[in-house]
Amino acid sequence: MSDVQPTRHQVEEFLYQEAELIDDWRLPEWSELYTEDARYDVTSLDCPDPINSRAADSLFLLADDKERLTSRARRLMKKTAHAEFPHSKVRHIISNVRLDSNANGEIKVRANFVVYRTKEDNTSQYMGQTHYVLVPQEAGGFKIKHKRCILDLNSLADQGRLTIIL
Amino acid sequence: MSALIDPQHKLVDIDLAHHRFRVNRDAYRSAEIFEREKQLIFSKCWLYVGHASELPSKGDFVARTVGGGDLIFMRGRSGEIGAFFNSCTHRGTRICREKRGSAKSFACPYHGWVFNSDGKLVSMNATRGFDADINADGALNLRKVPRLEEYRGFYFANYNSAAISLVDYLAGAKEYLDSMCDQSEAGLVVLPGEHSYSINANFKYLCENSYDGYHLLPVHVSYLEFLDDRLKAGGGEGAVNFITNLYNKQGRGRGLGYGHGALESWVPTGRPVASWIPPWGLEIKKEIEAKRAWLEQRFGKERADFISDVQKNLVIFPNLVINDNVGMIVRTIEPVSAAGMRVNSWALGPSDESAALRAIRLDNFVSFLGPSGFGSADDIEMLELCQRGIEHSPVEWNELSKGMNGAEDSRVEVCGPDDEGHMRAYWAQWDRMMRGVETLEAH
Repeated sequence: MSDVQPTRHQVEEFLYQEAELIDDWRLPEWSELYTEDARYDVTSLDCPDPINSRAADSLFLLADDKERLTSRARRLMKKTAHAEFPHSKVRHIISNVRLDSNANGEIKVRANFVVYRTKEDNTSQYMGQTHYVLVPQEAGGFKIKHKRCILDLNSLADQGRLTIIL
Repeated sequence: MSALIDPQHKLVDIDLAHHRFRVNRDAYRSAEIFEREKQLIFSKCWLYVGHASELPSKGDFVARTVGGGDLIFMRGRSGEIGAFFNSCTHRGTRICREKRGSAKSFACPYHGWVFNSDGKLVSMNATRGFDADINADGALNLRKVPRLEEYRGFYFANYNSAAISLVDYLAGAKEYLDSMCDQSEAGLVVLPGEHSYSINANFKYLCENSYDGYHLLPVHVSYLEFLDDRLKAGGGEGAVNFITNLYNKQGRGRGLGYGHGALESWVPTGRPVASWIPPWGLEIKKEIEAKRAWLEQRFGKERADFISDVQKNLVIFPNLVINDNVGMIVRTIEPVSAAGMRVNSWALGPSDESAALRAIRLDNFVSFLGPSGFGSADDIEMLELCQRGIEHSPVEWNELSKGMNGAEDSRVEVCGPDDEGHMRAYWAQWDRMMRGVETLEAH
């Protein structure tokens, strides 16, 4: 696996696929993009060192392991997930994709994002940077081992909540 | 003209004989009532500012909005904790522009006046032009809040210098704070990280929601189903059945005096203090059992069981929530308008717990709580739906009658866990203060 040398184009294609699954509310499929030991997290907005902080010793907005991200995906498809019923409209814009390193079968990737969420007549924006650890697959493509979203916000005063997937 | 000065315009309607307790919806939507709350409630009550553990060293500070006041909460050079209005005494400039940090002094960015961490004016940045004794009376020092007092590390401010003491004000709420603080000899600390968000609803809707046992199943069924899966995978009984069959057969709601109230309940979420669930694994079980044994030895079985097993949702009038349930949360609810609030919350934990238990505590917290949690996010939606409904509906009253049992004084009523007696305790106090019957001043 370690001799796989993906191009930025391939990585971008993968990130766009992930975004499309989220925007289309195909969340159970989205959760399958993650490895069994995966983590998906969003750091606290007042965190002084969001790249290195750990959900084990500081409060995050969201800190899912594979079990909970799968549950999150499943929950959000239910009418009883009231915060997202009816589903809001979601659109990801992803850019500035960088491949930082490629070692031990893992690729570190950074990407900037803006996500728009429209619930009824109100639109809010979530912007920031995502740090990925991707694992290239033998059959081609990738799985996500870690996705950390660092929002460029100091609070959710404008957005209120974060109930969509970033 | 206004409903407020018309004594006939009742905001809280209590009918003991017919077991009806109703709150006029203007209490949640009127801009005029909101203004009056600022004067009659937020300028009279003790309001939570912060926890001692947030300021471990001299010079540490956090900037915080408390009942509309923009405050600097800091540990001074003397080691004493103070709370000051974040405004230069020269022209009013906001001087502290960081959310938190550590500083020996604050220099005003406008004309360079310098205040030390005890709030004392130490430089006016001028070699001439002022009388030498211009600050002889200290009036040019940073202005302190009129009162700042603490209970077991929790600091509260009061904008009324004549207010009763914090300890008296907390009344029956102290019992619940004690049952948290007694979980560790080393003391509780606020853990790093915060949740800061807004809700488009009147702040009292969140107070009610924070200890409402009645909404658990309809609002949180999707969280309970998540818990169900986890517990069943560990060979345990499911959460949904537990809630459906047993929830209202144990526990209670309680009015604690001065508008404070608590919900005591049993929900099988696991409690990091000393109530283990299988998904946490066997390794952590030993530590949790050891803590339980220590609690029993120290306080006896009955109190150890109360500390360990009972989920406690506490609302301290008028805008503080301290819950000891899936984890420990301190949540302040800052009203911004009749129909809007800002919420800030923090996780608490014993300073001496293991890294593994700390991780479980935080994980349990974010699974349910906060603006991305499986629980709180759906609560937020409910409160916004309520606000939308009352903004247009001709129905005048909100109904809070469930489980009313004829108690003469709603402020100390005891009811079932899915009843609304603890909310009646809040509203009875609110009504007394809004009518000016109660001012919380020492006589």
